Amino acid sequence: MLSLWLGAYDQGLAYAGLALGTYLTLRVLNFPDLTVDGSFALGGGTAAVMISKGVPVPAALALAMVFGGLAGFVTGVIHTRLGVNDLFAGILTTTGLYSITLRLMGRSNIPLPQTPAGILALPDLGLGLDGQWAVGLSLVVLGLILLISLLLATDFGLALRALGNNPTMARANGINQRRGLTRGIAAANALVALAGALVATYQGFADVTMGIGSLILGLGMVIIGESVLRPRSVPWALLAVAVGAVLFRTMIAIALQLGLEPVDLKLATALLLLIAFAFGRLRIPGLSADQGRQA
Amino acid sequence: MRCSPGQFVVVIGSNGSGKSTLLNLVAGTLRLGAGRIHLGGRPLHHLKDHQRARWIGRVMQNPLEGTCPELTVAENLRLAERRNRPTLLAGGFLLGALGGIHPNGADRRRYRELLGDLGLPLADRLDEPVGQLSGGQRQTLSLVMATLGSPNLLLLDEHTAALDPRAEATVMALTDRLIRQFGTTTLMVTHSLEQALGHGDRLVMLHEGRLIGDWNAAEREQLDPPALRAMYGAAIVSSQSSSAPDGSSAP
Repeated sequence: MLSLWLGAYDQGLAYAGLALGTYLTLRVLNFPDLTVDGSFALGGGTAAVMISKGVPVPAALALAMVFGGLAGFVTGVIHTRLGVNDLFAGILTTTGLYSITLRLMGRSNIPLPQTPAGILALPDLGLGLDGQWAVGLSLVVLGLILLISLLLATDFGLALRALGNNPTMARANGINQRRGLTRGIAAANALVALAGALVATYQGFADVTMGIGSLILGLGMVIIGESVLRPRSVPWALLAVAVGAVLFRTMIAIALQLGLEPVDLKLATALLLLIAFAFGRLRIPGLSADQGRQA
Repeated sequence: MRCSPGQFVVVIGSNGSGKSTLLNLVAGTLRLGAGRIHLGGRPLHHLKDHQRARWIGRVMQNPLEGTCPELTVAENLRLAERRNRPTLLAGGFLLGALGGIHPNGADRRRYRELLGDLGLPLADRLDEPVGQLSGGQRQTLSLVMATLGSPNLLLLDEHTAALDPRAEATVMALTDRLIRQFGTTTLMVTHSLEQALGHGDRLVMLHEGRLIGDWNAAEREQLDPPALRAMYGAAIVSSQSSSAPDGSSAP
């Protein structure tokens, strides 16, 4: 039983980058970014290819982040320079990324049977391999939260938050909307690609379809984290979405324990979010029908 | 149209006369079809709105538009304070990180002092989200933000139109005080004839995009409010009734 909870904890932390990336685009930048479906798989695929070729895991994760950042950059450019609608810009990039990821991987699935040496070198807290993963992933996620908190507390972060909150005011105060939005989306997708890479490394394989429904997953994690912790500051909000990722995976573990078929998971997730929308608990600019985006 | 440095110009005109269009063209939120705009000899017309913000402070008509409601008072002030240094503000991650954490303790002390000197109770609410302030308080904050960083030009677009009379009086008193204190060249659009006759160094009237009236402070004193109101309504003024612009430099 402990192994089940620990597994859910590890999986949640592996997915935390997805939740943080979704928070960055939807909550900070006010940008509904569908690129995450493509960049999650791109990150997983990149890490799997690199690790299977003998590249050290940290370098493979870093490369996955760079590729994810590039994917986000492309969406940002399509939206801000070519004037393509935000949702459609993300769909265009994600569609293209499917082929790119498949080209990169060479096949649809790459197995990674070896646990990374860095994880095996960590203390296991008496819990075995799952304990070692828990220590490693906790360190990575806490480091990410600290880094993003600091970044969002600088003038650059303040500019991003202003852009998401009131673009008219942000421009009137000298902030370059195109540049800020593009960089923010790139950073968010770098985080999402890192999540894809960590998930692939943790579960021992990467699949070209592993990104399908990532936006909905990330959204679910953000909502759960915000509902439970009700954060009032940016660092707490980042911690809340990481906790949301763990709680989300825990709920999935419970649902599977109760007899939910794995094949129905995405349907269950979609229904959960639909209920949240229907009861008005969820207001996502660009995604809620009764609310237009500010120009 | 030319304005002297430090001049406080009040712009009036009926709906559709081009008052807000004039301000939007200067601010860069509307693209200029023909002609040129210079500020202190510097051509502005080829620059984007966020680039012009380096020299131009703006207060918008809607109190909801001029501030970021989810950011705190101090964070809004920090954004405005960095307006004339946009490179770092819009810069990359490393530059952002090197700039340190803002607003920090020193920033807060500076803002508290500034707001306290102006006699504004906002000094005690620096860490509250701006969304919790009233419309008048938000417009007050917006005005202080627009004058931060010593802009060369201040644009006020009917900035008291959405306020109740008491808040309007407070904001107009602060407007006069800040403009006198910093000597900022100002273009203020208003629908209020009381404001038009009681504020500024110069009054201009627009009709269908054309300057049809231009009075300096002394000439404005001679204007009869009922006559001006009639003129305002009919928006027909003979070219003889307008005096020549007295300015010698931008904008």
